[in-house]
Amino acid sequence: MIDPHDEVFSIRDILDSQLLTSDGRRIGRVADISAEEHTDGSLKLTHLVVGPQALAGRVNSHLRSLFLFFLRDRFEHSIPISEVTRFGPTLHLRGKAEDYAVGQSERWIAKHILRWIPGNGR
Amino acid sequence: MKKQWLSIALGIVTATGGFLDAGTIATAGEAGAKFGLGLIWVILVATIAIILLVEMIGRFTAVSKKTYAEAIREDFGFRFYLLPLSSELIAESLMLAAELGGISIALSLFTGISWHIFFPFVALFIWILAWRAPFDLIENGPALLGLVTLSFLAGIIALGGIPAPLIPTLWHPSFQQGTVAEYLYLSAAIFGSTISPYLLYFYSSGAREEHWSGASLLLNRVTAIVGMGFGSMGSISLVVLAAIVLQPLNISSNTLGELGLVMAKPFGIVGSFLFALVLFATCTGAALEVVLAISYNIAQGFGWEWGENKKPIEAARFNLVMTIFLLIAVVIGLIGIDPLQLALFASTVIALFLPISLSPFLILMNDPEYLGNKTNGRFTNIAMIGILVLAFLVAIISLPLAIITGGG
Repeated sequence: MIDPHDEVFSIRDILDSQLLTSDGRRIGRVADISAEEHTDGSLKLTHLVVGPQALAGRVNSHLRSLFLFFLRDRFEHSIPISEVTRFGPTLHLRGKAEDYAVGQSERWIAKHILRWIPGNGR
Repeated sequence: MKKQWLSIALGIVTATGGFLDAGTIATAGEAGAKFGLGLIWVILVATIAIILLVEMIGRFTAVSKKTYAEAIREDFGFRFYLLPLSSELIAESLMLAAELGGISIALSLFTGISWHIFFPFVALFIWILAWRAPFDLIENGPALLGLVTLSFLAGIIALGGIPAPLIPTLWHPSFQQGTVAEYLYLSAAIFGSTISPYLLYFYSSGAREEHWSGASLLLNRVTAIVGMGFGSMGSISLVVLAAIVLQPLNISSNTLGELGLVMAKPFGIVGSFLFALVLFATCTGAALEVVLAISYNIAQGFGWEWGENKKPIEAARFNLVMTIFLLIAVVIGLIGIDPLQLALFASTVIALFLPISLSPFLILMNDPEYLGNKTNGRFTNIAMIGILVLAFLVAIISLPLAIITGGG
């Protein structure tokens, strides 16, 4: 378990963690992280990144460029680390699912594709 | 508590669907027709392996509250997760097409109409069930129908039991119709069809759907042994029937329809219908398990909403994956390959990928962060290493033998 106030933590503990919103919705997994460098040379984690380009980059750096060329950041989303209320294999987020762009494909598919299929539960 | 014990049906459906399916029926029928009882030992070894694997994955999920796919992604990272995922996608799309074909052939045996005509409607039937049926129905419906598998045992009794000349083929296989290469190839295919990884993904997700906890461990153990034992009994019965009925006739069961002869001999037309019913029940259970297992795997691996007890719009990506995967299987099925041949091929492909699917077990089952004091003991670890060694051997021999034998 990682405490957000701990100075030392493992990136491996955050990568691939489940993102769970306050209304109990699973919206995705952490594909990458972004950090900013401080004047003293230390790195501070700022955002959790979710998206196909970040995932492709995990497989191969050339793949990330290829995905960037085709997708142009369209499906890349990030969440400020301050949104995380509890750390662990599941990262609990402060807001509800609709507050985050991450997982919007779930809503888009429900609204634009599944709405045409009978018995969709609407 | 009563409800918990009632959920033993999870084990039975996992057995009828996951253990007994188009792959098992195809391999068991071909094994009996070609080698008498000479491959029963392979089924027994594979049964012990699958009982151990199911018990482990059930224990893992009940204690950690994590499914197998979730744990692979979280513990091994995205890059590794892609390996079992892609191997599952390839192998199970073939197997799903074979299951849909198996159901179509069952309907064809009932009606006399070509199975090709039924195929798209069968896919629609499975899609409707997977789209809206709650997990309980998916679990219990095929489970009850699957009990007709007992008719295989009745068939053996009606034929007067196992003939004495067949018994030595248990340890000295008869090579009247098959070659040594075919014998080894079928051994690999039996492992692939019995130790199907989709079964593990489905079982693990089912345990979460049913909210298993640390209190479910005894139930899990009983489910693994009874469920897989039941499936194994059905599979072995079919080997025996095929050895009694098909081998003397020099019929090597090239299609699932031909296999129906094994029940027609003891029971006539009723037997043919019983065989069709077994085929229908087991392939329906398996088709649902395969399509859900893939959807569970992808949704859990990518961290999306999932669950059969949710409305489709509440788990939109999960349900879209399920729909697309079924469409892919329909395209494969429409090529027109006989489901028995497809099932044999799919079992070989599964065998080829088995080490990838099973290797995370050894690490996950020894991780106290997930399992607390319920990690594997020495015996289960030694057994797991044995299963992995077996999986590697099977993977190494499966592809060359498939080429040599032309797929059985």
